[in-house]
Amino acid sequence: MTRFPAASPHIRAMKRRLVLAALPAAAGLLALSTPGRAAVDIARAAAFIEAAGNELVAAINDPRLDLPARRERVAAVLRRTIDIEGTGRFILGRHVRQASPAELAEYNRLFDDIIVRNLSARFGEYRGVRFSLGRSQQRTEEDALVTTIIERPNSAPFALDWRVAEIGGQLKVVDVIAEGTSLRLTTRSEYAAVIQRGGGRVSALLEAMRNQVAQLAARETRG
Amino acid sequence: MFRFRPAMQRASLLALALLAAACATPPPADDPEAVAEFRETNDPFEPANRVLFEIHEVADRFVLQPIAETYRDLLPQPVRNGIRNALGNLRAPVILANDLLQGNVTRARITLGRFMVNSTLGIGGLLDVSRDWGVPGHSEDFGQTLAVWGVGEGFYMFLPLLGPSSPRDLLGQGVDMAINPLTWLGQGAAVDAAGWVRLGLTVVDTREALLEPIDQVRATSLDPYSTLRSAYRQRRAFEIRNQESPAGQVVAPAGVTGFGQGVTAPAAPVARPAPPRAP
Repeated sequence: MTRFPAASPHIRAMKRRLVLAALPAAAGLLALSTPGRAAVDIARAAAFIEAAGNELVAAINDPRLDLPARRERVAAVLRRTIDIEGTGRFILGRHVRQASPAELAEYNRLFDDIIVRNLSARFGEYRGVRFSLGRSQQRTEEDALVTTIIERPNSAPFALDWRVAEIGGQLKVVDVIAEGTSLRLTTRSEYAAVIQRGGGRVSALLEAMRNQVAQLAARETRG
Repeated sequence: MFRFRPAMQRASLLALALLAAACATPPPADDPEAVAEFRETNDPFEPANRVLFEIHEVADRFVLQPIAETYRDLLPQPVRNGIRNALGNLRAPVILANDLLQGNVTRARITLGRFMVNSTLGIGGLLDVSRDWGVPGHSEDFGQTLAVWGVGEGFYMFLPLLGPSSPRDLLGQGVDMAINPLTWLGQGAAVDAAGWVRLGLTVVDTREALLEPIDQVRATSLDPYSTLRSAYRQRRAFEIRNQESPAGQVVAPAGVTGFGQGVTAPAAPVARPAPPRAP
């Protein structure tokens, strides 16, 4: 590849003009593409959460399944429902750029494993769980917030909000919010702290994640 | 004397270690993203906070948590609910004062109406009759009032036994105690004893409500300290915006001590008949 000498002021000005000319075109493209990514229809989002929730509850309460089988069914529903890759990228935040492709691939794999194991272990224990859609459903610019109320025998019901966005033409869950606490925001600051304490290296986070997967797996085999 | 010395020495060593480790090193100025993150985290005394957090964790595992678990095992849920309701009702004057200080007359009327109904029909606050009538409670504290007035949190603090806080919220806690009539009411051994019982029950009730969330954090977090810090901040922001009962089904009348612990009350999924108007 030939290297050009540093651009002359002339060429730089030309470039700037080109960029300026390209701006309206880009804006036009954006405007055109907005409808595809438009606000999520609230009724559709609520129906989506209801369907996924029913599937989860059916799997959790199925008397024919033992614990591992239940977990597996729950994991399958979660993988279909959650935008795991996008959420993982959001959580890694600015560190995405500093990770090597190999590190990123490992991160994605570990994150998928951890989120599915964590959530299915948690939901898998909710025998006798029932859920209903809450009264308030709200819409933001890019996504919808669907409120559900989770009821379990012998404990106070609680509300969980699901943030639903359209990813590649399909509705997906991008966040779970309990009492104002967003899971993806909390996890983002947790992962950032692990990286920072590990000398700013993504590999420190990966190591902690590998350990956690091992622990979670050990706990699952114990019961 | 002989016994006292090592304890003193240990304490002063600890204090020294705290001082030495007190300040977090800010990231280099040429990394604007890291600097932004450092500002957002707003935890300049992180190393000291982490030490205090570890101390708290030990105290919690050996004392607070076992007590909260025993409390849950010994008392049936209706009794624990009654205690939670009564504690919330006793906090009503403080909540009312803060509703008013925030200029929120609607919420002040709700607090006043609930206090009158629950103190009488609710048998001294044991039953939350108002909630059954469709008027759920809410919590307020002076830390929130300061936030509404535009006071920033200052910085993050972790205090053993009290948990996550900030100078603003800690000050708020003190003011709440000062404006609570119960702090000044009566004197004598019986009143003192009642005060200690109320304090003890508040701590136990709050910890009991947090059994699952804290277990969850310990089991799933790669760094519980930062998870708690983030959760506390988010929860506080949510309380300050008065969003705690978007559908009227959530909240925390009682055990909430102004330290960001949310307590979930039974849901009211169906619309209730209109409540009687607060006097």
